[in-house]
Amino acid sequence: MSWDWSYAAQILPDLLWGVWVTVVVTTACSAIALTGGLAIAVIGSTCGPAGRLCVRVMIELFRGVPILVLLYFGFYALPQIGVTLAPAAIGILVLGVVYAAYCSEVYRGALMTIPPGIHDACVALSLPTRVIWLRVLLPLAIQKSMPALINYVLVLYRQSAFLFAIGVPVLLARAQIAGYQSFRYLEPYTLAGLLYLLMNLPFVYLLHRYRMTNAGAHA
Amino acid sequence: MREPMRSNVSAPSAVEPAAKESDGVRMPGAGPAQSPTPAIRFTRVSKAFGSSQILTELDLDVLPGEKVTLIGPSGSGKTTVLRLAMTLERPTSGDIRLFGESIIHNDEGLPRSSRDEARIRSCCGMVFQQFNLFPHMTVLENLVLAPRTVLKLDKEESRELAMEHLRLVGLSQKASSYPGQLSGGQQQRIAIARALALRPQILLLDEITSSLDPELAGEVLEVIRNVAHVTQITLLIVTHEMRFAREVSDRVAMFDGGRIVEQGSPDEIFGNPRSERTKAFLQSVLNH
Repeated sequence: MSWDWSYAAQILPDLLWGVWVTVVVTTACSAIALTGGLAIAVIGSTCGPAGRLCVRVMIELFRGVPILVLLYFGFYALPQIGVTLAPAAIGILVLGVVYAAYCSEVYRGALMTIPPGIHDACVALSLPTRVIWLRVLLPLAIQKSMPALINYVLVLYRQSAFLFAIGVPVLLARAQIAGYQSFRYLEPYTLAGLLYLLMNLPFVYLLHRYRMTNAGAHA
Repeated sequence: MREPMRSNVSAPSAVEPAAKESDGVRMPGAGPAQSPTPAIRFTRVSKAFGSSQILTELDLDVLPGEKVTLIGPSGSGKTTVLRLAMTLERPTSGDIRLFGESIIHNDEGLPRSSRDEARIRSCCGMVFQQFNLFPHMTVLENLVLAPRTVLKLDKEESRELAMEHLRLVGLSQKASSYPGQLSGGQQQRIAIARALALRPQILLLDEITSSLDPELAGEVLEVIRNVAHVTQITLLIVTHEMRFAREVSDRVAMFDGGRIVEQGSPDEIFGNPRSERTKAFLQSVLNH
């Protein structure tokens, strides 16, 4: 079987639609993962032992169970107990919450690396707790976490391919459908691989720019 | 090019100068002091970290406008005194008052709420050995943050106040730099300006030159000399710079093993120390 340019051109619009769905799904997942992770890290850092235990259990649960299991649970099991959600909503929630658990550990690590002297300075300036968190600790933690967070968003692009398993028309699902319909798999999967690579490029650029800015301004 | 330090800035504190004749020591059994309400009063303050006793029943008064320096070997409890006054640590026992108000208990003898604690300590500023500037903010943002949120000044007022204090420390041209772009000496001068921008009545200085080389340390000490001379601010200083301590202080207290072993005027302590421990300490420091 040889490469068929006309077939490739024919399926490309369909695959680009899959790219659009992938971008939307990943953006929504990332928003949940980044903000949810930050919320989990702050709750874990500020609440008492019982709260910390709850946060720990939740993090281990979502990190320990395979994503496919969670997706199937949302898609097949939840309707049986009366909770019915659209496949895309299930996919976004599952990926968002799982990666919120991962991101929370990144934020927690960043918060731990902030020198205690910074907090002492906040107290010495009589800054209110809200200002200490919003203006000092969280911006510093986010800044320190940035490379790892960008990396997780990159991973989320790839992990969004799992959503084809519950029928969300992401790029992989589009490629698979094209393959089933024509029994030609070379073009759909090659193009899908190339498009996933292209989607990664902005993040590679962002990471590079972050490193350059960080080396210059905060040396 | 370094900007000359201004000496005609408005005083960050409006506190009247201290009565110099008082040495701030309260002798056991002595009647109530006739001097004004102390800016800082430690009454039988002890502090332990686990099994390690850092301070033992410390009594110390610092009068408004007074410049007091704590000297002594490392681990003798000097820094802990400053951290207790700033509520960064809580004492194991005893009471600490700032301008007559306890930071430990309220009038009913109950522990102070964190809000009360913040209100009382707002008369205090502190400068740390490691500068502790916020690295993600420019110099100006570092100086503006507290006046905006604590003094509730508007954007323009807080900016003006920040620039006034940057001029005081000779660094107004660095307003848009990040702390990481400045030398250690410059960062420490910014930290001093940041503390002064809140217009504290008491300034606590914790070994502010210990992490600087002698040249940079000189810049920082010059700023403090300037502040000490042009303002009526109360200074409580921990330092190993004996020449500076002698020059800037009204009173020097020698610490050892969590207690004050001797205190008096700089001339008494450096010129004619009575305690053998003070003599030995000064000899080792001055011969170093």
